[in-house]
Amino acid sequence: MIKGMLDSGALPALERMVQFTAARHRVLTNNIANISNPFYKANDLDPASFQAALSEAIDRRRESVNPMNGPLDLASTSQIDFRPDGITARAGHVTDTILRHDENNLDLERTMQRLAENTTAHNTTIELIRSEFSLLQSAIRERT
Amino acid sequence: MFGALDISTSALVAQRTRMEVVSANMANRFTTMDAQGNYAPFRRRIAMFQTGDPSTGSAEGVHVREIIQDPSDFRKVYEPGHKFADSQGYVNYPNIDPAMEMVNGLEATRAYEANITAIEATKSMIQSSLRILA
Repeated sequence: MIKGMLDSGALPALERMVQFTAARHRVLTNNIANISNPFYKANDLDPASFQAALSEAIDRRRESVNPMNGPLDLASTSQIDFRPDGITARAGHVTDTILRHDENNLDLERTMQRLAENTTAHNTTIELIRSEFSLLQSAIRERT
Repeated sequence: MFGALDISTSALVAQRTRMEVVSANMANRFTTMDAQGNYAPFRRRIAMFQTGDPSTGSAEGVHVREIIQDPSDFRKVYEPGHKFADSQGYVNYPNIDPAMEMVNGLEATRAYEANITAIEATKSMIQSSLRILA
């Protein structure tokens, strides 16, 4: 990434958000694939802990010398390791659903809801990234 | 993101295999002879699922590990004049319950549709990601 130009504004936060929603999508899809697999326990990535890490990093950048620009430095949570070029996610077990008779604890309706929310968040973040890039483009072209 | 397509497709393949097993069971409900004409009642087949997808080497997804035969007892029907009746006049018929097979078929269909929905979500995410460039 070209430092300074592509680290500005909201782009680092949006990039981390897209990495998180892509990783969570894989986990949720794997749950749906194993819906009739007995003894399978459902996994999920917790969005609340990711949001806490992201907002803490944004606050830290606001306190620094350059509040609106520069990379975001996220602290690793128990489920996610933040690397410069991506994230490594370790999904945790879902513990608040009922265990069915085949010892599979997938709640299909809630998983579909989470899939829908995750897809919407992903697509919205992509739209915001597009608008950030179009701002950069109009600045480069020096006309709107 | 394309890995998510592999996961859902592996589930579609596994559910369709399960549906084929259900169809074979339903078709052979009264089969008492094997292909050579010997007395060998058809045993109910069960598809065993396992996490993981050997075709891509990934640990995510699902596949049918093996198709086993149900070891439970055959259904005994009292037909004393039947060619294959035993000394008490009972004939062994396949241990297949049509109600159970229908419910398994319904569940396989529901799981198939759920995975199709997941594929549609993946496709919309891939398409919107590609629109960053265009």
